[in-house]
Amino acid sequence: MREAAILSASGLRVELQSRSGSFVLTADALDLYPREALVILGPNGSGKSTLLRTLAGLERPAAGRVESAATGPVTMVFQHPAPFAGSVAHNLHIAFLGKKLSGAERRARVGEALERFKIAHLAEHRAATLSGGEMRRLALARAFALRPAVLLLDESFAGLDADGQSALSLDLRRAIFETGVAVAMVTHDLRRAMLLADRIAVLKDGRLAQIGRRDDVLERPNSLEIAQLVGMANLVEGVVSSERRGDFALVEVDAQHRVATRAACSPGNRVWIGIRPEHLKLDVGRGAVDLIGKGTVQGIVNDGVAVSVQIDWAGAELRTHLMAGRGLARTLEVGAEVSLSASPERVHLIPIRSD
Amino acid sequence: MSPPSIGLLIEITARTLAVCLPALVIALAIGLPIGIAIGGRRFKGRVPLVSLVNTGMGAPPVVVGLLVYFALERNGPFGELSWLYSPQAMILAQVVIALPLVVGITLAAVGALDEDWDLQVRTLGVPKRWRLWLLLREIRLGLLAAVITALGGILSEVGAVMAVGGNLEGETRVLTTAILMYTQMGELEIALGLAAILVGLMLVLAGLLTAVQQSGRS
Repeated sequence: MREAAILSASGLRVELQSRSGSFVLTADALDLYPREALVILGPNGSGKSTLLRTLAGLERPAAGRVESAATGPVTMVFQHPAPFAGSVAHNLHIAFLGKKLSGAERRARVGEALERFKIAHLAEHRAATLSGGEMRRLALARAFALRPAVLLLDESFAGLDADGQSALSLDLRRAIFETGVAVAMVTHDLRRAMLLADRIAVLKDGRLAQIGRRDDVLERPNSLEIAQLVGMANLVEGVVSSERRGDFALVEVDAQHRVATRAACSPGNRVWIGIRPEHLKLDVGRGAVDLIGKGTVQGIVNDGVAVSVQIDWAGAELRTHLMAGRGLARTLEVGAEVSLSASPERVHLIPIRSD
Repeated sequence: MSPPSIGLLIEITARTLAVCLPALVIALAIGLPIGIAIGGRRFKGRVPLVSLVNTGMGAPPVVVGLLVYFALERNGPFGELSWLYSPQAMILAQVVIALPLVVGITLAAVGALDEDWDLQVRTLGVPKRWRLWLLLREIRLGLLAAVITALGGILSEVGAVMAVGGNLEGETRVLTTAILMYTQMGELEIALGLAAILVGLMLVLAGLLTAVQQSGRS
């Protein structure tokens, strides 16, 4: 069973005045739990940093409240962490200024935090000489040295290459697991969100539009905009048919193309059919049980790890991924005819409002 | 006129320091908090204020002297103090000269810190008094630059101390006013000797401060 929330925001309304006008952020309910990372995903200007600063207590909400059940500190790591003058180890000691801790305890915590983020070998280096990636590790180590109950991260993977992001996310995930800290990270980048998220919150135009378990949000976005933001690349318009196939509803794209889904819907409704690329399967044979029809390969991009394939299906452009160097990925060619299938469990519907 | 005795030279040098050092300390005491306050915040009227400070950094000392003179003369707003032609008047004039230098360099040093610097320190839970200590430590190179610039500015200027001090022997004569006087009298050897003392003084003080500044870099 999940532990109780350690930081809870409810009925939040934050109003900001700036030179470019006023900005309002609203969030009905947002909870942080121990040992869990919530990633707040949203385009630039959607209010991510404002939300994070409000949770950190740096912005005062005009309405609503942020309640903390934390027994330890609530701290934040900024997008551009500032190194203090002096060595890396000294930078960690600065977190203890004004706190009652013995010298031995301080040194133990600093050593542990440096080890945790694999920068113990840099302890005596001047902080100002660190690379971008090392500086990020320093900032995280500095935060963890405080033994925080809640850690708020602003784009902690920004400015790192793909390998650096993966390596840092592995260390961060382990630190979260081992210390039990509750984490919220904001980012505009879906890939970086995926690196850390147990749960995802989506911000849109200053509004908390959706929040839920990672897979719930990724597979069941509640609007077209969120679907696009969370990488549900295959979105095709259709109408819910009055026919059914066993337990599943059928959605008709045109006379030749129908898709089965477990999603709830009413016959006659216009909907967006959403299928994540990883849930769209390709076959050159007769096709699987969940066949949705045949398509033609339009393009293939192989980056050495994954092969992205573009397929023309019912006049729409669909995308899917194959693992590079295996099976179909080795033989597939542009122009080939393929069978497409998607499990009805993985076919999501977003109602199209008629207005 | 007979050349000044060693005792007189020491007296003039001592008076120079007795005027410049208090002026420096007062300018730092007033200027640092102002520089930190302006440098770390964004508020309406900041730009005109910074422009004013920058203008003050280049203000001609002789004009400052003139303004202080008007303030201190018998019918001036502070005439009752009877400070005119006293070391106090010279200290006041030099504070006015040094203050914009201290404020200007401090606010530039604070402004060069990361935009989120203060928030980052706050989110680490560092108490207020330690935050100020940390800030001074971060900008210490800029602070030393401010001290060196202000000291150089007031130690070497002659216009203001002449206007409000009057170069009275045994009372308000300092190195710069003495150099000017002996030059005008044609006593060039004495003027050169005094100039050597002044330059030597600046060398020693700036050297000491630079040593401190550079040692803090590692």
